Amino acid sequence: MKKGIKKGKITMTITIGIACFALVTVMMMQFKIVNETDITSIENMQEAELKTELANWKSKYDDINAKYEDTKSKIEEYKNDEQSSNESSKLLDDELNQTNKILGLTDVQGEGIVLTLQSGKDLTPINADDLLTIVNSLKFAGAEAISINDQRIVSTTDITYINNQFVKVNGQRILEPYVIKAIGNQSYLESALKGNGGWAEELQAIGHTVTIEKDDKLTINKYNGEIETKYIQ
Amino acid sequence: MIFVAILIGCILGAILGMNAPMISYTYSSYLAIAIIAALDSVFGGIASVIKKNFDLKIFISGFFGNAILAILLTILGQKLNVDIYLAAIVVFVWRMFMNLGTIRRYYVEKWTDKIKEKAHSKEVADKKE
Repeated sequence: MKKGIKKGKITMTITIGIACFALVTVMMMQFKIVNETDITSIENMQEAELKTELANWKSKYDDINAKYEDTKSKIEEYKNDEQSSNESSKLLDDELNQTNKILGLTDVQGEGIVLTLQSGKDLTPINADDLLTIVNSLKFAGAEAISINDQRIVSTTDITYINNQFVKVNGQRILEPYVIKAIGNQSYLESALKGNGGWAEELQAIGHTVTIEKDDKLTINKYNGEIETKYIQ
Repeated sequence: MIFVAILIGCILGAILGMNAPMISYTYSSYLAIAIIAALDSVFGGIASVIKKNFDLKIFISGFFGNAILAILLTILGQKLNVDIYLAAIVVFVWRMFMNLGTIRRYYVEKWTDKIKEKAHSKEVADKKE
C-alpha cells in the first residue's frame, strides 16, 4: 500500500515536471517571437491596424493614379492641340507665301522672256502708253510676274509719263533702255508681242530697237514699296 | 519533491525554448492562448496534488485538451471575427487564481500550524520546568 502510494507520487511528480518542461519551452518560444517582432513596428501592429493602414495607402494610390491619368490625358490633349496648331500655322504660312507671290512681294523665278526696248534715233521716244500696251499684252498672254527695269508690276502699279517725257513706273522714273521681264509660257508671251498686231513688232516696224530673249531661269525681284490701304475698310 | 521536479522542468524547458527555432508571428496568438491553458493546467495539477485528489489521466487530458480547445476556439473566433480568445483567457486566469488560492491557503495553514505547534511544545516544556 505504502509502495503504491510512493509509485503514484513519483509518476505524479514526473508528469508535472514534464508538463512544466513543455509549458516553459513553449513560453520561451513565445517570448522570443514577441521580442523579435518588437523590433519592427509593422509586425507588431494588430491586424486591424494593418488593414486600415493598407486601406489608407490604397486610397492614396488610387488618388495619385487618377491624378496621373488626368495629367496624362491633359498632356495628350496639349500635344494634339500643338500638332493641329502647327498644321494650321503651316497652312497659313503656305497661304501667305502664295499670296505674297501673287501680290509680288517676293522674288520669283521661272521660265520667261526678257524684252529690251531702245528708242530709235530721230523718232518719238517710246512712251508710257507703249509700255502699258506691252504689259497688257503680256498679262493677256498669261504672264505671272512682270517687271520693267526691275520695277515689279503689282496691282497698284502705275505706268505714266510726265510732260510726255519722263516715264514713271511705281512712281519711280525709269530710263531707257526699257527691260521688261515676264514669267510665263515663253511661246505664248512671245507670240503676244510679235506677229499679228503685236506691239513689239509694231515698234520695231517704226524703227525702234526691240530684242526678245528667252530665259529658262528668269528671276524677277519683289516689289520694293509698301502697299498701304487707307480707305479700304 | 514536487517543487524540485517543477524547477528542473522549468530550467530544461527554458534551455530548450531558447534554442528552439522561430515560429511565425501569425501563430503566436494561438501559442499564447495555449500557454495560458497549459499554465492553468499545471496550477490545477499542483492544487490537486495538495488536495490529494491528483489523477494522472485527468491532468494529462486537461493539459492537452484545454490547450487544443483554446487554440481551436481562437481559430474559430478569427473566422467568425469574434474575439473568443478573450473569454478563454478570462476563464483560465480565473481558474488560475482559484488554484493559486488553494495552494496559498494550504501553505499558510501549514505554516500557522507549525508556529502553533512550536508555541504549544514550548509551553509544555515551560510547564514541565
